[in-house]
Order: sequence, then structure tokens, then C-alpha cells
Amino acid sequence: MATVANQAGAPAPTRRRSRSLSEKRLAVLMVSPSMILIALVAAWPIIYAIWLSLHQYSVRVAGLSRWVGADNYTSAVSSPDWRSALYHTIIFTVISVTLETMIGLGMALAMHRAFRGQGLLRTVVLVPWAVLTVVTAVMWRTMFVSPYGFINTILGTHTVWLGQEPYALIIIILADVWKTSPFIALLLLAGLQVIPDDIYEAAKVDGATAWQRFVRITLPLLKPAILVALIFRTLDALRIFDLPYVLTQGTVGTSTLSTIAQQTFATNRLYGQGAAMAILAFIIVMLVSFGYIRFVGGNIRGMTAE
Amino acid sequence: MRRGLGIAIVSTIALTVTACGSSGSSSSSSSSGGGGSVSGAKTLAASAMNSPPKGTITYCTGKDTTGDAAYTVAQFNAKYSAQGYHAQLVEFPASADQQRAQFIQRQQAHSSSCDVFSSDVIWTAEFSSQKWLYDLTPYVTANASKFIAAPLDTVHYGGKYWGVPQTSDAAFIYYKKGEAVPSTWQQVYADAKKTGGIVYQGAPYEGLTCDFLELAFAAGGQVLSADGKKSVLNSPQNVKALELMVSGIKQGSAPQAVTTYMEPETDQAFTTGKYGYMRNWTYAYAADSTGALKGKIAAAPLPTFAGAGKASILGGHNSVISVYSKDPGLALKFADFFASPAMQKAQILKFSLAAVIPSVYTDPDVRKAVPYSSQLLQALSQAHARPVSPVYPQISQAIYTNVNDALAGRVSPQAALQKADSQINSALATF
Amino acid sequence: MEASAATSAEAVPRARARTARKPKRDRTPWYMWIAVVAIVLFCLFPFYWLINMSLKAGSDLNGSSVVPHHPTLTNYSAIFKNPDFIASLRNSAIVALITTALALIVGSFCAYALARLKLRGKAIILGLVLSITTFPQIAIAAPLFKLWSDIGIFDTYIGLIIPYLTFALPLAIFILVSFFREIPKDLEEAALVDGATRFQAFRKVVVPLAAPGLATAGILTFIAAWNEFLLAVTLTATTAARTVPAEISFFTGATEHQVPYGSIAAASVVISVPLILLVLLFQKRIVAGLTAGAVKG
Repeated sequence: MATVANQAGAPAPTRRRSRSLSEKRLAVLMVSPSMILIALVAAWPIIYAIWLSLHQYSVRVAGLSRWVGADNYTSAVSSPDWRSALYHTIIFTVISVTLETMIGLGMALAMHRAFRGQGLLRTVVLVPWAVLTVVTAVMWRTMFVSPYGFINTILGTHTVWLGQEPYALIIIILADVWKTSPFIALLLLAGLQVIPDDIYEAAKVDGATAWQRFVRITLPLLKPAILVALIFRTLDALRIFDLPYVLTQGTVGTSTLSTIAQQTFATNRLYGQGAAMAILAFIIVMLVSFGYIRFVGGNIRGMTAE
Repeated sequence: MRRGLGIAIVSTIALTVTACGSSGSSSSSSSSGGGGSVSGAKTLAASAMNSPPKGTITYCTGKDTTGDAAYTVAQFNAKYSAQGYHAQLVEFPASADQQRAQFIQRQQAHSSSCDVFSSDVIWTAEFSSQKWLYDLTPYVTANASKFIAAPLDTVHYGGKYWGVPQTSDAAFIYYKKGEAVPSTWQQVYADAKKTGGIVYQGAPYEGLTCDFLELAFAAGGQVLSADGKKSVLNSPQNVKALELMVSGIKQGSAPQAVTTYMEPETDQAFTTGKYGYMRNWTYAYAADSTGALKGKIAAAPLPTFAGAGKASILGGHNSVISVYSKDPGLALKFADFFASPAMQKAQILKFSLAAVIPSVYTDPDVRKAVPYSSQLLQALSQAHARPVSPVYPQISQAIYTNVNDALAGRVSPQAALQKADSQINSALATF
Repeated sequence: MEASAATSAEAVPRARARTARKPKRDRTPWYMWIAVVAIVLFCLFPFYWLINMSLKAGSDLNGSSVVPHHPTLTNYSAIFKNPDFIASLRNSAIVALITTALALIVGSFCAYALARLKLRGKAIILGLVLSITTFPQIAIAAPLFKLWSDIGIFDTYIGLIIPYLTFALPLAIFILVSFFREIPKDLEEAALVDGATRFQAFRKVVVPLAAPGLATAGILTFIAAWNEFLLAVTLTATTAARTVPAEISFFTGATEHQVPYGSIAAASVVISVPLILLVLLFQKRIVAGLTAGAVKG
């Protein structure tokens, strides 16, 4: 057919066009293994999960299942347990992301100024990030559980930290903040290092105080990095599973969107309801990340421009 | 080419979606309330254990805190390895919920990694209704007279027997020798304040269901209606029982920390010598007679609930055989070995775990070494079973989460039982 | 000139920015050193506490002291005698290595195409790849458990590697796209002029130049796979495939009726040491990878 088009008077293919055609073919070839893999490992399970969520699987009779449409979703959304989990997840996300960003920013500012031994400092700062999440949970558990932990000894209290409602969630927040503030610090440090000195010099000459320099120069120029950090961390916090699972098995007011879905699916063997909860978590995270894509869309386009 | 790929992906998805339509056979019973029936399960002949194929079976159990599991496996190997039969031990975490999760995960995955599983007595209805266990009726009916009736009942569901009793259990009040034995629960709590306190399992897990039901049943309350179709948890008797536990913590008769205790933590606390009383299972007698408390603890049956009655909860484990086992005959041989008089006697003598055969309790050696053996036999024979239902885990969850909330002071006892009551009713209505 | 370069729309390559822009400042004021000490304490103390716990045994464990009264190595010898722990180390290593290798190979192809070649909808593809990283693991773990059980790859290496690619592949692609873009086009153009095909240019010119980027992506993918918990716990049951994080949460320990915090702590220390060494050796790369795409215009 191409030859017919040629004969109809189309210009003979230039070397550039044929290279562009083979380039396109190569591009597709190079991209498709990833796309296929992604379809397999990410898209397929989600679709199967949606399928599961539209059914109920009997816990009494082996192998019995029935179609329930959207019932699992409505019952999850109206169930007080799931709502608690949603509430805990939101509280956890808001508090921990705020704390992490503030502490991370402080660490980044300090690291930016102390330029001697920066390599070593960066290594130290990466330790919390490098430590496994499970190990983090063990660490914080052993610090707070009597009689092994020292917190009660130092504070002179007898609080059962991991057994009481506000405290258990607080400890999980602390553990998460400890683990991820360094990561945010590094992100923000990279952002700080791109800000040229001249701007600060000029501001100093104009008589701006350190605080004014921080608020009027640093923060605005750091905004992109802060926003990226915020969004990455928000999405991670919404999906939190490891810490509550290991520290409290999601009890004592620490259930999250992920732990309650896992418990419903695996422990209670309510596959349909559990899958619905998992998809609900998925939808919530997707909604937040859509906001992200709108913001960073320019960035992605920039990364794929030729 | 991209478009072609897209179509291929969509059609693959469509095919798989329709392929995973109806899962398995829509088998058997209409499950009505607590009682039920299971049809279509695999039955294991009693003779299967006589000359099974040679090999190794895996015995899966929770953390072997007493050493009983390791001992039994070693004895089995000592006796049978010459004939080519071996057993190996795999330990799961200490908490019963996690043991159940581990077993369920394997059964759902059709894994043969556990041939024999030490199943808590409360799981029989659930596991058998999912057809994860071999029907052992031929073996059990042939040997029924050897076992104490109450433990034997725990392997009975839907008219069939699904396991071999292994250990039984009832709880005791442990105290330090020389102190007075309180006669009622109310007195226990009153005395506890003077003697350091009482520790028990109050974490939100199955153990708390037992601790609570011991008081609730003693106070005259129930969980399910007689036909097993409705919850009767929200009754004045149960509220009274819960109020006693809650005020116990408030007034300092029990430390606040009990709301996080499982069995290991309870042992830990009691062996420090600081606390006067402990509610724990039979194993604690031997396990906690160490260090400062060596030779100093005594066990008394659970007291009466003032103005009402006495009750104890039947605990224990049964040996169940997974339908995915590759050598069910050998698995049965192991289960039978575990229940043999020699092993049962060692169980109670060495590890203070209650035996499931009555002959052990009349043995003179046992009478001498275990001073409370006759009380134990009596406790076992009179123990109440927890509600029998394939959705028992959800019923228990409703009980223990809400009781824990009340103990921790987050809700009032009345509100807690009200919530548990409605959650149980939803559980009973589960598809 | 530097100011205009920074504020122009075209992003300055991060590597050049970091080294060239070391601020010339006065000597660090004393309060900054306090801040540094605070940072070091904040980051390292919990880990020190873990080491402290791992050196305690018996009644020392209940002591809640910040320094062990009778330091001992029994916990360490106990865990190394534990065949389950050794098996989980092996499982983690194999799964993480294979996942990383696959992610790098497949991902580098995709990243190169996205960074260099003409293709419609590349932004959409990259956006899609990025959005995969935001999937809640639970949404994948649950259906996979059911499926793997049915087709028989539950509790196997392949059963873990496949879902691990959900996060490993996008991570590798995203990092590699940034690195590929930084390689000057002239070198490839020169190769093409010399008659090489695009793919040969990719293989012989770009890949060697992107080695630092591949190393970065490899390290980050490896750490992510090593750290993964939810899928490991859901999709494995025995030591046949159970990885280290799942094993630690499963630890039944060697002692009788005590929760074995000593051994758990020792195991935790043991598995953290290789990661910390990795961080020590490669901290520059790791930081480069973590901040990829974060500091663009």
C-alpha cells in the first residue's frame, strides 16, 4: 500500500523519514517489554481485585460465591471500622507529613550551612532511610515497651505506650517521622544547593534580616522541591502498612486503609469485602496523585521532550 | 502496532475475567446459625495409620513455650525412625491469631507444608466447613472411649469428627503458697489490691475472650442463643462481669498494663513476684515455677461469681490433618502417638499440660507430682465450650475488641457489650 | 551567568549544580554545630539503642538501661545458628538481585526510548509508569495471593519477583530517564553518523556512559526490594521463599517464654549492617537517585 501511495505522487522517502520510521519501531520495541510487564504485574491484579470486590465468598461453605455488585463498597464505606481506619490514616498522613517536612527542612538548612564533612553527614542522615521498616518498628517497640524500654524509666511513668489509644498512633507517627525526615532533608538540600548565592548577597546588601531572607528568598525558590517532597510523602503515608502491622497489628486505634483491607482479606477471609477495601484505598490514593500529575505534568513533559 | 497491542491486552483481560468466574463447586449445606454440616470432605480410614508410606511429616504448632512439641516429635522419631517414619517440627508465632493466620494462609494456598496442625479447639467449625481437614470419624469413633468427653466434643462438628484431641486446658488462679484462697471473683479483686494485684490476659486477642467469658459464664451470661442464631451477649449478667473487670483496673487491683498482656507477658509479670494473683492456663504451673517463685506457687480452680455460679472455659488443642498432606496415614499415626497414654502422661508430668485421656489422672505418679490433678480433671469435665460456629473468629473479635476498649477505659462496659452484640449479629449473618 | 543558568527554564544538570555551587561562606557558626550534633543524635540514637538491646540477654534485657550491664554476643550466635534466619537472608538476596537485574535491563530499554526516541504519547507513558508507583501494595497483594495459590507459585521466588517489579521497574525507569537525558546527544549522533543503528548506539555508547545512573538505579531498586514487607508476608509461608523482613516479624526466637527481643534486635542489626555499608559507599549516588526529578525547573 505504501508503494501505491508513493506512485500517487508522494515524495520519495528521505533518509530522515526512514530513520524516523525505524526509530519509531525501535521505540515501540524498547518500550513494550516494560509496558507488558507493567500490565501484567500492576494492571492485571487491580482488575482481578475489582472482580473479587464485586463478589462475596462464603466463609461458611467452601467454594461458594455470589455476585453482589457494589454492595461491598457501600458496606465498607458505611462500616465504622473502615471509617476509623480512614480517619486514622488521614490523621497520620497530615501530622507525619507536616512534621517530616518541617524537621526535614530544618535538617536541610543546617546541612547546607555546615559544609565541612558534608559527605559524612549525608551518610549519617541516610541511616534511618536505609534501615528496614520492619527493623524501625522493632527499634521503636523496644524503646517503649516495658520492662525493656527506657522511655518509661526516664520519664518515670508507667504508660503502656503501645497499648493505649492516642499513644500507639503517636509512636507510629514518631517512627515514621524518624525514618523519613532524612529523605526529605536530602530532597530539600538538593533544592537549596541550586539557589545561587548572589541573590542572598544582594538581599543582605539591601538590609534584609536572616528571617526575611528565609521567607522571601529561600522558601519561594524551594517551593518546587517542597511540593515534590510533600506529594511523595503524602502518597506514601496514605498507604502506610508496615509500621502499624508490626507494632500493633492495626489494633488500638492504629488501623489504616491498608491494614484493615489486609485483615479483612487474609484474617477474616472475607475476600470480596477485603478486595473492595483495597480498591477503595487505591481510589483514594489515585485521587490524590491526580492532583500531583496536574502539578508536575510540566516536569514529565520536560523529561520526555526531545 | 500499538493499537494491536492494546486490543490484545484488552481481550486477554476479558478472557481471564470470565475464566475466573465461579470458583470451585457450590457445595453442600445451607449453613444455618451455629450448627452446620459439611458434606463432600475427604475421609481418612482408621487403618491408614497402620502402614503408611515412609517419609517425613511436618507438625506445625505455635511457639513451643513448654517444650512439649519438641519432646513429642523427638519421641516419635526415636520410636519410628527405624521404620522410615520421621516427624519434624515447625513453630509459628506465639499468638493464637497468628497461628490461625499461618494455617489458613497455607490451606488457601493448597500448600502441603503442614501435615499435622495443632489446632485450637475453637477452630474446628471454621476449618472443617472450609474442607481443609480430613474427616477422621472412623478413627475417632473407634477410640472414643479413651478420651475425656469435653475435649472430644471440640473435634465434633456437623456430625463428624475432624481431629484427634491432643491437649486440653482449663485456667486456674495462681497465687503464692501460704496466702488465702479467695472463694469469689469479687474477693479476688478485693484481695488483689492488698497483695500486689492480679494479672491476666487483657490484650485484644482470643485470650481475652477466654478471660472475659470465664467471668461472664460464671455470672450466668451467654454469648449465643440456644439455637445459635442470635447474640445474647448484651445481658445484665455479662455487663456485671465486665464491670467487675473494669473497676478492677480502675481501682488498681489489676495493672493498666494488662490491656496489652498475652500469656508470655502475664508469665513475665507474675514471675517478678510483684503480683499476688495470676489467671493463666495449666502450663503456667511448671513454666512459672522458676527463679524467685520456685516451689512457691499454688493453683486454685477459678472462683465463684458472687451471687451466681462457677465456670471455666475449655481450652486446648487438637491434632488436625490437612487435606493437602502428602502422607495423611503417617500424619494420623503422629496424631495417634500424641494421644497415646505414654505421651499424655509425659505431657502432664513434664510440661504440666492437661492430658485428654482420663486414665492419666488416676495414675499414682501423676497424683503425686501434680497436686491439683483431680481438680484439673474436674475442671475439664465441667468446662464450658466457647460458641461453636464457622464464624467464631469474628464473634471472638467482636468480644475481645470491645472488652479491651472497656478495660482501657475508652468506652463504658454497657456501650462495649452493646457494640459487640450488634457485631456478633452481623457476623452470624455473614454469607 | 550562574544566576541566569539557574533561573532559566532549562534545568541545570544536578550533578554539575551540586559540585560547582558549594557556597563560599564564613566559618560555620557555633549554633550550627549544635544543630549538626542534634541531627546526628536524632538519626543514630535509635539504631544505637537497637545495638544496645542486641547485646543484652537474660535479666539484663529487663533492665531498660542505655548501656548493657553484661554485654554478650549470645544473641548473635543464636541467630546465626537459626537455619530459618540464614535461609531468609539467602531468599532476600536472590529475590532482590533478580528483581534489580530485571528492572535494570527492561527499564533501561524503556527509559532510553522515553528519553531519546520519537514516540507519541511518551508523556502519558511516563505518567503511567509514575502512577504505578503510587499503587497501594495491598491492592496488588490480595488478588495475587489468590491467583498465585491457584497456579502454584505461592511461596516461590518467582511469586515474589513478579510483584516486586511493580515498584522496581517504574523506579528504575524514572531514574534512568533522568540520567539518559543528561548524556550529551553529540556522542550518539556521532555514532549514528558513523553508521551505527539506534540500538547499537544505545548499547555501545549510551549504556557505558550511563553506568553511574544504572548503578544508582540498581542500588535504589535493590534496597527497595530488600525492604519490601507486605508482599513478602502475604505471598510466602515457609522458609522456601520467606525474605528477611517477613522472617523478623515471624521470629519465634530461641528462648522459652520470653519475647525474644534480644535475638530480634540482633537479627535487625545484622540485616541493617550491609545496607548501611551500601549507603556509606554509595551515598552520593543514592542522593542523586533520590533527588532525581525533584529539582527541575
